[in-house]
Amino acid sequence: MTIGLIALGLILVGFFGVRAVVSFVRLQQTGLQSGVTDPEAIRGWMTIPYIATAYGVPEEYFFEHIGIPAEGNRDKSLGQLNREYAFGQPAAILNAVKEAIRKYQREQPPVTEAPP
Amino acid sequence: MSDLSLTDFFLTGLITYGPPMLGLALLLAGLGLPLPATLFLLATGAFIRQGVMDWTTTLGLGLLGVIVGDSASYMLGRFAGDWAQRRFNRSTAWRSAQDTFARRGGTAIYLTRFLLTPLAIPVNLIAGGSRYAFWRFLGYDAAGEVTWIALYVGLGYVVGSQWELISQFVGDFSGLLVGLAALGAGVYLWVQRKSCSPPTPSAAGPG
Repeated sequence: MTIGLIALGLILVGFFGVRAVVSFVRLQQTGLQSGVTDPEAIRGWMTIPYIATAYGVPEEYFFEHIGIPAEGNRDKSLGQLNREYAFGQPAAILNAVKEAIRKYQREQPPVTEAPP
Repeated sequence: MSDLSLTDFFLTGLITYGPPMLGLALLLAGLGLPLPATLFLLATGAFIRQGVMDWTTTLGLGLLGVIVGDSASYMLGRFAGDWAQRRFNRSTAWRSAQDTFARRGGTAIYLTRFLLTPLAIPVNLIAGGSRYAFWRFLGYDAAGEVTWIALYVGLGYVVGSQWELISQFVGDFSGLLVGLAALGAGVYLWVQRKSCSPPTPSAAGPG
């Protein structure tokens, strides 16, 4: 049992040690910017109201851009919406949402304060 | 777009239904369902920062959920322990394990809540099975879970939208700590065994 415990410990330390170092290096290279609103961070589990809050884009803008009704779709994830409205087109809704954010950001550039 | 996984299901639930979904996820994780509970806490911190979730209800229901889940797995261990008690009652190793847990179990319960998290469920089962006092278990469990929730929700709040990046490192680091704990325990047992074994006479002998 003692030898087994030592062997298990060595395997776990080796396996997770390498993974932890790789993750840490990746973190160092990426850097942490807590307020990032990059459309590439959109995931299939997200809902339209959540994305609207996180990215500061009105909900209606997304539904209009994608061309689906808001009614009954607010609680559904992008993955569910894709299955219901974009048969056979993987990531169609996800890409449409990313495009909507980029378009909105072009149309509504960040407001800078005017000098007094 | 990948198919909906269990993790995705709970993340969608968190942003749609908020605190009750966190409570449910942590309860199921406490029962032993393989859910990435630490990842949910990091995400919750980010959602609180984004204004999607309210921090008081979220932390309250999260803590309630995980304590109920831990208590349930303790009880499971207790029922299984009754069988083990009947089966191994005369075994000295079984009694010794029970005595050791009764003396040092509090530290194990506390540390496995937030530091050595992969060992939390086995410790719950052992605590129940070895008839460790429930109220003492509950005290250490609550203290450890408060630390866990404060630590990872706080971290998620600080890193904000980049919580996914940090969750990989947290998972790997936790696995590394479990490996170090196993290695440390193995070396400790090996040294104990060496010091307890009688000295063997030298083959060459004096002269």
